[in-house]
Amino acid sequence: MNTIKIPLIVALIGMLAIAAGNVGAGEAASATSGYSYGDTTDKNGNCLSCHGDVGKVGKKMFIDPVKYTHTNHARIGCPACHDAVISGHAGSGMTTAKTGCRQCHDDIDVEYARSSHAGKTDCNGCHDPHRVAAPTEISGQDINRMCATCHDTYEISASHGKWLPQADLHIEMLPCITCHTGSKNYVINLYIIKRQEGVRFGKFDLASYGELKKEAGGRDILSLIDTNGDGYVSLDELRNFNRNPQYKELRLQGMMTPEQVTHSFQILDNRRNCTFCHASGPSAMQTSTVAIPEANGTFRKVAVEKGAVLDALYATPNFYMLGGTRNAMLNKIGLVIIAGGMVMPVGHGFLRFLSRNIRNRREDRHE
Amino acid sequence: MSKHMIYLHPTPVRIWHWLNALGIVTLCLTGAQIRFPEYLNIFGNYRTAVLLHNTAGLVVAISFSLWFFYYTLGSRKITQLYVPGVDDLKRGVLRQAFFYFFLYFFGCPNPHHATPDSKFNPMQKSAYLAIMFVLVPLVSLTGILLMNVSPLRELVIMAGGLKLLVGLHFLMACSLCAFLFTHVYLTTLGHTPLAHTKSMWTGWEEEEDHGEEAEKVHQAKPLADPALVRVKASS
Repeated sequence: MNTIKIPLIVALIGMLAIAAGNVGAGEAASATSGYSYGDTTDKNGNCLSCHGDVGKVGKKMFIDPVKYTHTNHARIGCPACHDAVISGHAGSGMTTAKTGCRQCHDDIDVEYARSSHAGKTDCNGCHDPHRVAAPTEISGQDINRMCATCHDTYEISASHGKWLPQADLHIEMLPCITCHTGSKNYVINLYIIKRQEGVRFGKFDLASYGELKKEAGGRDILSLIDTNGDGYVSLDELRNFNRNPQYKELRLQGMMTPEQVTHSFQILDNRRNCTFCHASGPSAMQTSTVAIPEANGTFRKVAVEKGAVLDALYATPNFYMLGGTRNAMLNKIGLVIIAGGMVMPVGHGFLRFLSRNIRNRREDRHE
Repeated sequence: MSKHMIYLHPTPVRIWHWLNALGIVTLCLTGAQIRFPEYLNIFGNYRTAVLLHNTAGLVVAISFSLWFFYYTLGSRKITQLYVPGVDDLKRGVLRQAFFYFFLYFFGCPNPHHATPDSKFNPMQKSAYLAIMFVLVPLVSLTGILLMNVSPLRELVIMAGGLKLLVGLHFLMACSLCAFLFTHVYLTTLGHTPLAHTKSMWTGWEEEEDHGEEAEKVHQAKPLADPALVRVKASS
């Protein structure tokens, strides 16, 4: 036991020493910059007093306080990255020094450096550190919009259309990272989409927080689906939502997104083989969530009863993945129908065999 | 007993029939692989199965349209051939069923004798009416919608959603598959097991006369064009 305890104690002392050193270094940095970052509860307040006001700093330097406050970056505070900012920098024309993302996200940096994106763009090409959210908090549509800033949608559609049946449907229903990163497990996220207003046959777009809040009469948006308010969406609640004529302009759009997001962007040969997704079988289609938009632009994922996308009709009436989401009851009915077609050949054929002598005698008499 | 050769199936109908046969068998096999890919791999890979299914589906849908226009505009016989009359429904279906499920086993002759103007017995007429006017159009329409989900999304939603279309498409396809088994079996009930198949290949159906009963039928329903009948042999 002693052999274990001694290193643990040494390690703890070491960690405390490092932590104390970091705090000291941080304080020293603040002291040398001569700029106060405020207290812990409002440590970004000073920065946001200017940068949170588009009128003061202009569009380019504006940071949306609501979106920024939600980020992990806000928790560590502005100076964690902008430690060289000095007081009175406003209007001086000085460029603020920025810390590289790899200082904290080293593992992602290593993974990204091996991907096909490496050298094409840096972290900021896809992520705005002042509004970044966890992968589970953003929608598949947002991810695809992010990709579309560099990858032209028409070109993507044309290049996929050369080999992929219903390419547009795949591009619409899958975040690019589902196929272009090395993620293994997937979940089905159901996003609420809304028909464009005033257009009878208008296309459906992702419903915004404001639109759904209005639809819910100011209540929690989840109450549109989760009627008993238990924070869990059952199959019955899903069916009721989809059949409710009051919500005929709203639909649930299912998107298959990776369970664990990685930055290993690449073209994977196994994704060109349709069986990777389509032969995964109903067992891989059990987990799904409903994504509810939040005021800060992120999404809250609410668990849905197991097997929702395998329901025959109304749980997810517009999400169907060939081969994967087939309904077991329909399979049985289909089997009974086909077996019905065998009744005549088997039953009649058997009696025909038994009666062959009678028929032959009759035929002989005719001849 | 004499034997008549009747020209029963004109060339366009035969081409249509065999194209359909090939198409529907392909659709059943590819459809099975598409629905159960982890258990079935008949065509090498999933993509090939999907592409073949789509192609065969289009061929059957186009062929159905040609058949429909041929019989409605070309020969104008669609109602006469495929829609059972009052007498067919009142007595014909029962008489034919009684033959298939009882009299046949005692070697009695088929009460229906095919002619170019009356190719199908009352049971066939009823079955084909359901298949050609309900099942095939619906399975084709649902298939076309499922092949074009993105551009036809509004129609998909109006039709009740993707799941409803997929369910209908699958169950109707199962019904067509069931029909296929029965259909192929019934073709073996001619005077030889391959007589009806040969007739669908050559167009000429060999028919035997079975005494007075058959004569009555022939007198009651004279052939439209005597040139389309030739006496093969008599004994």
